[in-house]
Amino acid sequence: MKPESVGKNEYELFFGPAHPGSGNFSVRLKIDGERVVSARADPGYLHRGFEKLMEYRLPIQNAVLSDRICVLEALAWNLIHAEAVEELIGVEVPERAKYIRVIMAELSRIQSHLIWYGVLSIGTGFDTGFKLAFGYRDFILDLFELITGGRVYPAGYICPGGVRRDLPDSAKERIPKVLDKIEKMIDFVKAENPANIGRLRDVGVLKLEDAIRLGATGPVIRASGLRTDVRKDEPYEVYDRFDFEVPVRKEGDAYARFQICLEEMEQSVKIIHQALKGLPDGDFIDKRFSKLKLNMRMPEGEVYVRNEVARGEAGVYMVSDGGTKPYRVKIRGPSFLHLIPVLEFLLRDVQIADVPAIYWSLNGCPADMDR
Amino acid sequence: MMEKEIIDEIKKKFGVEGFMQRERRVIVKIAPDKLVELCKFIKDLGFEHLSSLSITDWPKRGIYEHTYHVWSYKDKILITIKTEINGDKPEIDSVYPVWGESAQIHEREMHELFGVEYKGNPDLSPLFLEGWHEKPPFRKDFDWREYVRKNFYDKENDRERVYFEEV
Amino acid sequence: MAVQLIWIGDKMKTEVIPKIIRNMFSKPITTRFPHESNPIPDGYRGEHRFNIDKCISCGLCSKICPNRAIEMVEAPGEYRDKYPKKYPKIDLGKCCFCALCQDICPSGAMKLTKNFFLSTFDPSDVIKDPTPTKEENT
Repeated sequence: MKPESVGKNEYELFFGPAHPGSGNFSVRLKIDGERVVSARADPGYLHRGFEKLMEYRLPIQNAVLSDRICVLEALAWNLIHAEAVEELIGVEVPERAKYIRVIMAELSRIQSHLIWYGVLSIGTGFDTGFKLAFGYRDFILDLFELITGGRVYPAGYICPGGVRRDLPDSAKERIPKVLDKIEKMIDFVKAENPANIGRLRDVGVLKLEDAIRLGATGPVIRASGLRTDVRKDEPYEVYDRFDFEVPVRKEGDAYARFQICLEEMEQSVKIIHQALKGLPDGDFIDKRFSKLKLNMRMPEGEVYVRNEVARGEAGVYMVSDGGTKPYRVKIRGPSFLHLIPVLEFLLRDVQIADVPAIYWSLNGCPADMDR
Repeated sequence: MMEKEIIDEIKKKFGVEGFMQRERRVIVKIAPDKLVELCKFIKDLGFEHLSSLSITDWPKRGIYEHTYHVWSYKDKILITIKTEINGDKPEIDSVYPVWGESAQIHEREMHELFGVEYKGNPDLSPLFLEGWHEKPPFRKDFDWREYVRKNFYDKENDRERVYFEEV
Repeated sequence: MAVQLIWIGDKMKTEVIPKIIRNMFSKPITTRFPHESNPIPDGYRGEHRFNIDKCISCGLCSKICPNRAIEMVEAPGEYRDKYPKKYPKIDLGKCCFCALCQDICPSGAMKLTKNFFLSTFDPSDVIKDPTPTKEENT
């Protein structure tokens, strides 16, 4: 759709990469008075070339590299890379490792949604929400430090074959206490706040047929009315044994996405309680992978794996030609579709004051757009 | 519909035999001039979400292999469509008329990184790289070690001397 | 106007004042950092400690490092008679603290400690040569 000019008083504004409200991503807005006429996305400030870097490293070294694809949900990207390598080699992961992986992936989803809530609040002016969200997120980062050894970068904790270390015994008592605190915070924040309703209702409306054509996935398309979730459509790990719901709304505006953010956090807490209750004993890594080896070959073939990360649907396509290193890796990030076609479509004929509300309600991560 | 019915429908109309790799995965290979017709056919069967689009280049065989992954929300099956084009003059028809903007943005990225022309794509301007005057960087015959050593590293520096030795 | 005042008064009694009283008697959550610190769990990935007596010079730590931060060199000057083989030299500026070298070492010579106070004004502190340390009790 080509943009059109409205009058002769247009000027161009860079909502740029060094702006405190936009992350490492820049949007060029054409503005006439107070109305945005059209927008053009300008990506590429964080392009590191992961797909080429992964062709020259062994799978265990790629596991350390894969948590930098999107730092805000590092364990989820570790998981999808490990699943792709395991399906190529043809190895079955032990049961205890699958339960531990589900617990870590859901903790990572709660932590990422807390960042989404905090940043959406400060974008629309509610500073207390930002402080609450980042304060409660610190309890989860302390849990990561206990289990994986680092607060933000878990250094390939979920590696091909299982997990790198076993779950310590003190973690099983600490996790329910942290989840109780987070449930109390979500109850407190869910109350209807007239500031949020005024700034977010009927802003950035995305209808269902536009969402499918533009390639939106995850919470963005669930807010427009389609009931879909990769954890229910093609279950991976042990998600088919747990009982949880998928929240859906019909309006498609920013307030619907905000409500879905809070409800998904509650469902993740439910999944973790069920997983902790059913955690079995046994090995935490497959026997072939427990000692690190430099010359394990991957048989010829190709595989495409889909997972549900916090921002939408992620995909990894891996091709191997019989050597020790992968031949071609293609990473499909959810934010690549949310921040370029969907944002250019939504930012036509809106007020300038609505631009942060629309941008932050799409929950885009510039790191997983550029990779 | 189940996987076997989809394979039979495609065989009836186009004469190519797909195969089932595992549960929920079907792979179909086709020639590049019938590509857009096959894509329109499966979109009418309910496959409306283009998940990803990728290129693999095989310099020994001299071809560029395109892979399209399409998901159906109704039947919950993923079809992988593969075509091969010649490596000397790489150009192919775009699938923008079938799947809209989600196909257009993926093709823009592949044009910049591999150098393949897409006929019919409305906007193929550069996406990530700025002021790049060399070969498309993701091809197998682009020597990235030479490029990095010439532009970024200094042989006299003690900490960077490691990068000039062979791996 | 009177209705609003009654509503505010009600809220103060049922929610705000009990919270204020509860907060007066609970522990503060701030840790006063240089004088006291939070406990660091075991298994934290900090600075490396290398035990030269256990090393067998296999070179596996140098081959597995994803950033080529470890290079096998000869021991510096005065230790060369006692330790004739090649030993790892670590460049902390390139290291990403992933602990793959700790997992692959077959004799347990490379371990990661809990120290994370690594910032310095002197660039030569960043490179760690393989020298024997004074206290050897591992």
